[in-house]
Amino acid sequence: MEHNIKIYTTPTCHYCKMTKEFLDENNVKYEAVDVTQDETARNEMIEKSGQMGVPVIDIDGQVLVGFNKEKLAELAGISA
Amino acid sequence: MEEHYDVVIIGTGAAGLAASLYAGRYKMKVLTIGEDFGGATATAWTIWNYPGAKAIDGYDLMKIMKEQAENVGAKIIDGKVTKVEKEGDCFVVSTRDKKYETSTVIFAIGTERRHLGLPNEKELTGKGIHYCATCDAPLYIGKTIIVVGGGDASVKGINLAGEYADKIYLITMEKELHGEPINLEQMEKLGDKVEVLYETTIEEIIGTEKFEKVKLSKEFNGNNELVADGLFIEIGAVPDVELPKSLGVALDEEGYIKVNNMMQTNIPGICAAGDAVNIFGSFKQDITAACTGSVAATSAYEFERKYGGTCEKHTKPHVKNTV
Repeated sequence: MEHNIKIYTTPTCHYCKMTKEFLDENNVKYEAVDVTQDETARNEMIEKSGQMGVPVIDIDGQVLVGFNKEKLAELAGISA
Repeated sequence: MEEHYDVVIIGTGAAGLAASLYAGRYKMKVLTIGEDFGGATATAWTIWNYPGAKAIDGYDLMKIMKEQAENVGAKIIDGKVTKVEKEGDCFVVSTRDKKYETSTVIFAIGTERRHLGLPNEKELTGKGIHYCATCDAPLYIGKTIIVVGGGDASVKGINLAGEYADKIYLITMEKELHGEPINLEQMEKLGDKVEVLYETTIEEIIGTEKFEKVKLSKEFNGNNELVADGLFIEIGAVPDVELPKSLGVALDEEGYIKVNNMMQTNIPGICAAGDAVNIFGSFKQDITAACTGSVAATSAYEFERKYGGTCEKHTKPHVKNTV
């Protein structure tokens, strides 16, 4: 099943890079948006997560704050 | 039966990965376990003073170190070590779901960010309060932020934040800043954008749904409250020494793991490296972490070579180095 995944990032955030690399390694598609370049996305991220830390990952409407490999794997359907 | 290793290295920061590289080259059977890949180095943004790399992102440097270590056979996994126990002449390292037997252990456990310990701090974390300027400072485009600190991490944080924020207040309890001169020079170039409040502390964090302002220990511009959009806390770090302590590893008076100049602790077979040791005092750098990691691996190797085969629980003989 293909998931709808959107990652809100900043260019200097290594947890954002780890998130994207983890999904890449597992051939999971996602959309990544740099919130320093996109004010609408920045406001969307704050509204969705209620906070201002990155990464924020929206998986089919479920919002994760930070890189939590286990939780991300579970929601993105990645088996260990 | 638990898997047996010659060395289990706890931590995947610069110290743990350097130790993994050296131990791998010593032909030891290496397992490295870490829960926060890259450690403090990964959060360092651009590193300009790691010899051999002109300018490199900290996370990228850590990925190279990992690849180097894996290329010489080190097995590096994600995980949280929950227990380290001595059994016979070996040690048993437990994670949530597995146990690993080993002749030697290297604690490269790093440090955790120090908190102010004020009410509201925890509740407003992420909601205007941050501990990683590298990650989150770029969100404050055109905003006003406060950085609390005074050491090099706070100065580097300001240099990054200066590319985004309109105004930055640095609150320090010190009489002067302790950043590297080259970083202080870069901060000075930000001009009026940065204002330093010396010999000042934060007494209160104020905010309900999100961070709003701080109460200062003394007046600034006729007011003892300072309003800002974000607060970045860069007041150093402390090691979480619960694991080594439970094993009887001696600590120094500041709570760091006590080691000799070969990174050996008071317990034979147990070494330590990186920011969790105080061998260079408060001078904690990527290069000192990597340096102590290499020394700890050397000590673990010497120990394993002398005593590694003696344990009755030793289930898999290692490849002896004939040099």
